[in-house]
Amino acid sequence: MKLYCLSGHPTLPCNVLKFKSTTIMLDCGLDTTAALYFLPLPLVHSPRLSKLPGWVSKDGAVNLEKELKECSGRVFVDSQPEFCLPEKELLDLSTIDVILISNYHCMMALPYITEHTGFTGTVYATEPTLQIGRLLMEELVTFMERVPKAQAATCWKNKEIQRLLPGPLKDAVDVWSWRKCYSVQEVNSALSKVQLVGYSQKVELFGAVQVTPLSSGYSLGSSNWIIQSHYEKVSYVSGSSLLTTHPQPMEQSSLKNSDVLILTGLTQIPTANPDGMLGEFCSNLAMTIRAGGNVLVPCYSSGVIYDLLECLYQFMDSANLGSTPFYFISPVANSSLEFSQIFAEWLCQNKQSKVYLPEPPFPHAELIQTNKLKHYPSIHGDFSSEFRQPCVVFTGHPSLRFGDVVHFMELWGKSSLNTIIFTEPDFSYLDALAPYQPLAMKCVYCPIDTRLNFHQVSKLLKDIQPLHVVCPEPYTQPPPAQPHRSDLMLELQPPPMAYRRCSVLGLPFRRRYERIHLLPELARSLVPSEIKAGVSVATVSAVLQSKDNKHVLQPVPKPAPVPPSKKRKRVTEEPPEVLNPKPLLSGAVPLEPFLAMLHKNGITEVKVEETADGHILHLQTEDVLIQLEEDATHIICDNNEPLRTALRDLVLRFLQKL
Amino acid sequence: MDSDCLSLLPAVCLVLADPKQSPPDDTSLEKLLDWFKELHSQSDGQVLLQHQPCLLEFISSVCMSKTTDPAILSFTLKLTGLLAATTQELHLFDEGGLLVYVFEREAWGVCDLWEDASVRSGWLQGLLNMLKHQQALGFMCGNGLIKVILQLQNDRSLFVACLANQLLVHILNFLTSSNMTNGSDVVGSSESSLRPDWVAASSEIMNAVVEALSSEDHPQVLQGLRLLSLVLSKCGEPIISTLWKDVLVPLEVLVNRGSESLIQTLITVLEAALGTPLLSQSEYKVEELLEAMLGDGNRKECFHCAALIVKLEKCPEVLKRKATDIILLPLQCVSTQPQAEKEINVVLKEQLSQKASCISLLMQSLSSLAQLAHTKYLFEDISIHSITSSVLLLLRMCSGHCPTSLLHSNAFTHLIGCCKVQRCGLDTLGALSVYEEILDLRKDIFGVLLDYLQSPDSHATVLKKTFQAVKRWIVCSPFPDLLQFISHDLFPVLEKRMCDLRWEVRDSTLEFITQLTTALNGNSGFTEALHISGMVSVLLSSLADAEGYVRASAVAAVGEAVTASSHQMVLVSNSKLLDEALVQMMAILSQDTEGFPRRAVVQAFTSWLKGSHLITALELSLSSVLSLGGSDFDWEVKMHTLELAEVLMEKTLTCCPYAVQNFGSSEETRFTQALIKFKNFGLFDLLFNSLFDCDRPVCEKACALLVKLRTLTAETADLDNSLLVLNVCGNRWGDEVQRRYLNKQQAKASVSVTNGVTGSDEGTDCGLHSTKDISLPKILQILDLDDMQRMLTLSSDHVVNSPRSLMEDILSAAQHSEENIVDCY
Repeated sequence: MKLYCLSGHPTLPCNVLKFKSTTIMLDCGLDTTAALYFLPLPLVHSPRLSKLPGWVSKDGAVNLEKELKECSGRVFVDSQPEFCLPEKELLDLSTIDVILISNYHCMMALPYITEHTGFTGTVYATEPTLQIGRLLMEELVTFMERVPKAQAATCWKNKEIQRLLPGPLKDAVDVWSWRKCYSVQEVNSALSKVQLVGYSQKVELFGAVQVTPLSSGYSLGSSNWIIQSHYEKVSYVSGSSLLTTHPQPMEQSSLKNSDVLILTGLTQIPTANPDGMLGEFCSNLAMTIRAGGNVLVPCYSSGVIYDLLECLYQFMDSANLGSTPFYFISPVANSSLEFSQIFAEWLCQNKQSKVYLPEPPFPHAELIQTNKLKHYPSIHGDFSSEFRQPCVVFTGHPSLRFGDVVHFMELWGKSSLNTIIFTEPDFSYLDALAPYQPLAMKCVYCPIDTRLNFHQVSKLLKDIQPLHVVCPEPYTQPPPAQPHRSDLMLELQPPPMAYRRCSVLGLPFRRRYERIHLLPELARSLVPSEIKAGVSVATVSAVLQSKDNKHVLQPVPKPAPVPPSKKRKRVTEEPPEVLNPKPLLSGAVPLEPFLAMLHKNGITEVKVEETADGHILHLQTEDVLIQLEEDATHIICDNNEPLRTALRDLVLRFLQKL
Repeated sequence: MDSDCLSLLPAVCLVLADPKQSPPDDTSLEKLLDWFKELHSQSDGQVLLQHQPCLLEFISSVCMSKTTDPAILSFTLKLTGLLAATTQELHLFDEGGLLVYVFEREAWGVCDLWEDASVRSGWLQGLLNMLKHQQALGFMCGNGLIKVILQLQNDRSLFVACLANQLLVHILNFLTSSNMTNGSDVVGSSESSLRPDWVAASSEIMNAVVEALSSEDHPQVLQGLRLLSLVLSKCGEPIISTLWKDVLVPLEVLVNRGSESLIQTLITVLEAALGTPLLSQSEYKVEELLEAMLGDGNRKECFHCAALIVKLEKCPEVLKRKATDIILLPLQCVSTQPQAEKEINVVLKEQLSQKASCISLLMQSLSSLAQLAHTKYLFEDISIHSITSSVLLLLRMCSGHCPTSLLHSNAFTHLIGCCKVQRCGLDTLGALSVYEEILDLRKDIFGVLLDYLQSPDSHATVLKKTFQAVKRWIVCSPFPDLLQFISHDLFPVLEKRMCDLRWEVRDSTLEFITQLTTALNGNSGFTEALHISGMVSVLLSSLADAEGYVRASAVAAVGEAVTASSHQMVLVSNSKLLDEALVQMMAILSQDTEGFPRRAVVQAFTSWLKGSHLITALELSLSSVLSLGGSDFDWEVKMHTLELAEVLMEKTLTCCPYAVQNFGSSEETRFTQALIKFKNFGLFDLLFNSLFDCDRPVCEKACALLVKLRTLTAETADLDNSLLVLNVCGNRWGDEVQRRYLNKQQAKASVSVTNGVTGSDEGTDCGLHSTKDISLPKILQILDLDDMQRMLTLSSDHVVNSPRSLMEDILSAAQHSEENIVDCY
């Protein structure tokens, strides 16, 4: 059993598990942080961005004016943003049988894997994961295609040139594997390979293993996976949450008794408690609005935004800010808000029960009804006519490199009355803000990451007790910025196996058993004999049939009666004669009684020698050696067949025949 | 009243003794006993038993009955003790041998009743009630009751055991008190003057203590120690020293054994010993024992001991120093750098590595430190500077900051985010503000406190403690950068906290601002900062908070801010602020659905009015406040409104700020003018309405104010009544006044008719018909305020709470018990 690690990113995993002749890909997350090296894509012509000077090395030797622009003291690539894909060279992607998706954030690289690689397998995901994942992909594509760039910059990637670039561009790794965004066709094609599953549904893969998604409590339809054969169990825990937010709570008990637990997707900000951050978010928002400023919340169009809207729904009235409008701007805003209301069975209990009243499970329906929350596909069109300040705007992309958020940064960045509140933990907010400096707008960093923290995970592991834990390397040491926080790492016994990008791990357990079915008529013919209390054995003669990884023992077919023929058949054509096997022996030969027995039969001169495995009896007169070992008995006598047979019979008296 | 009750007594006794009746509830029996007690104390030698033979019959019948209820038996025992509390009565009892019969449980009709704890408790209470004279003691000693009491000391019921201890102490005390010596021939308090059986009794008790302390049985040791500490605190010499001599050896053994569960009790014993003359005599080893409890600071229990010793009031200095050194060890150990590799004892190390013990040790350490700081204790071996640094470091560790080198990384992980330690540490940090020596640490201190205020993870209770500590440090001594700190560092944080999700946080932030404004009252820079930073407008917006408590705190904060502004005359430039504040507050008073904010509004007006500076703009709102507050549904709002009225009266009548003070008017006219002003404010309407309010405290307060007013009007001779005429029509109080007025007129008329007098001016003026307008002094006369006040001071249940009604209740319950059964069906 092997694990191929195609991504080193702890929360955007992409691993391949080879288990019992199946090849299973676990998630395919797309690391979009590479976009931070690129210039923002403005929706509306930005004089500031268009007038940026090109970059030329100090000595003038390297001139990349067209590709690189200097902005606020840093150099950015002026091209369509690219993303860092999972490793494609570590193993042949066409051999992958299935891809298991745990949540919609961890499937963004799917088109890169399923298209143009020869992939012919199936993708398994829950319905909300598929639908919301599709929304996020379509949004990403729209963001890119709305602002087309004439050419792609590639010269800077040249190793010799990259070496000369200023940091952080100089230190970017694997730049040649970066790819620009996929197209809608590729998204559609990739998603057509998805087969929907429900929680606790058992899916057989080639009869060899069974995979089951379990609720992970992190987002709508998010799941952990159990991959098990009859005798082995591997659990795959990806983004999970124990907090009470909108999704169904995490199912923990089914994770018990795993041989291996692959643990990914813990919180990215272990020091920030989501409750505290939510409080920060609300109070900073209220402060800004009260002072007459606007609030910009760069966020994904699904996920935490539902909780934020719910929290604000209660908070705004209590803070006496009821009349402040919220705008949610995304090409998929409408679908995202509406999808959330229809996946009732994937929601937590109290939201589910609302559906029976009947009421919409999320209060943002009421916000929309009362015109407090308005959503638009983009800043163009209706939005510009209805836009009223001060307001709160939720829009993407959290990297601040593309999407409508770029426009708001240009619009509001200059006023210190406005505030940008970062709630998504995926990007460093300082890097995200770099091309907008100098910035007068206030910045607040309230990352809300509801995934498991180290305290929760160690409790969980204590509870479910897996034999071995596999996790990304960063989880095995304290965060680099806080080397003293030994509480922010996994400390387990035995220590977890750590992986990084391109690792291939041999998982530390051997398969020892296989289940074989016995047909009833065969079973009827068996004669078990008890060899010790509770253990019986029987000999079986049968034909083993293996098909679809299922093994069945069938009775030996009777040879067809030989048709009477005068013709002599060739010996080779005759069916092999089925001989009755010799009976198997069991038991032990006890030394003292055996000596007594020999004595009784006239063999008196016996020299007994003790060995590591048993005894050697030397019958001196006969010059015979008898080796009595735990699992073997040898009688060594030269050319005296009658004596050997006599001795053999004496030995056999002590043994049982099956 | 008592004679009435006494006539009911025989019937009550019959009911109580009747086993067929279910006994009245405990409270009734207790009340009955209280009445007996009162009766007994008033009897002046009159013997109740002689006049009420039914009592003796009752007692003997209860004891003989085969079906007595435990509650009744317990009551009887207590009653017997009470009735036998004088020598004369005791003899009456003794004549029939009844007393022995009552207190000898073998003689009862049902011996098993002793198993009931209430009976045992009643038995002890009875003896305690009786123990007022020598004969009683003689009775106990003579009948071997001491032994039973000693057994009850280890009773499984804690109440019984505790009562037994009290009784034993009472006996010991009694043996040495003047009661005994007066009775004996030899004057003096030595044991030799006592009767031999009493000497035996006292030594029996003392031996029992010694025996208990030497016992292997834990509960017995505990009881022994409890008795010992009671004796030490309640008894005098020679009992104390005699007993101490005997218990010293087993006590030493217990101390040296150092059992965790005994520490608290042992310290109580030693604390009691500290308050006695034993302390001054070295052979009694009090100090030595306490020191032994501490050990060398290397036992698990020593920290607990040290924490207790630090709290002792009369602790010898040396001992306190030693305890202080020990109790500070955990704090220092966790939060100081490993200086000079000082050997940290193994026990402490182990304790700190476990979460529960680590936290409890640190909390003991911190709270002891706070305790010491309250008395401004002078630390000797260790500087207050380094102690404070340790506390700061600990607080930083709690929020996840790690010192460069750590002695106990385990302890560090236990502490991260630990609210208990945070709260305790913040309390201690606040308490340390009394030391001027550490003023130079102020920057660090405020740094830590600001971190706590800013941290999104700070729990609401932690924030509250932080606010308290900040306030203490700001108030303790002004410093040059104070205003800079407040407006640049503190205010932005407070502004954010006022938008917090948790209402508790918003509430405590507002409270903090109020307190700060009050504390810095007179600091013009602060007031200016409050306005310039826009804090006041944030406060005003909090008046519309969704949570009632927060609105109430916001009202208080705004009130205080306005007062401060008015003092500093900043208000001139901010008259808009006052107007806005007034509009919002009046809106709250008239419309808010919760009581707290409305109460706060009235209180704010009161404090404005109390202030030394005049806020003329308030005058316009005052009458609305008085009328709205007076007609509020919440009785507390009404009370606060009356308080406002009181302040208004005081202010107006003493300095008359509202009266026109030209013409050099005389005292009288000034008073009249003040009254006219009151009338215009609607003060009288408020007072009279409140006088007939449905809430008694409101009536009481209004009555008191009216009495005051009546005194003043009476003192002022030539008051112009015509100016002070009130309309008494169309309101409740007016109707009541008219009714009383007519009654008086009627009475007067009938008197004058019978006397054949044609009537005075007044009589003819008013006639026997109602009138619309009556002058204020007249109304005050008509209302019998003194009688009203007397009635109002009586508690509302004074009618139903009399012993007579109690007895009637008991009797009627007995009569109706059968009917009730039928009714139920």
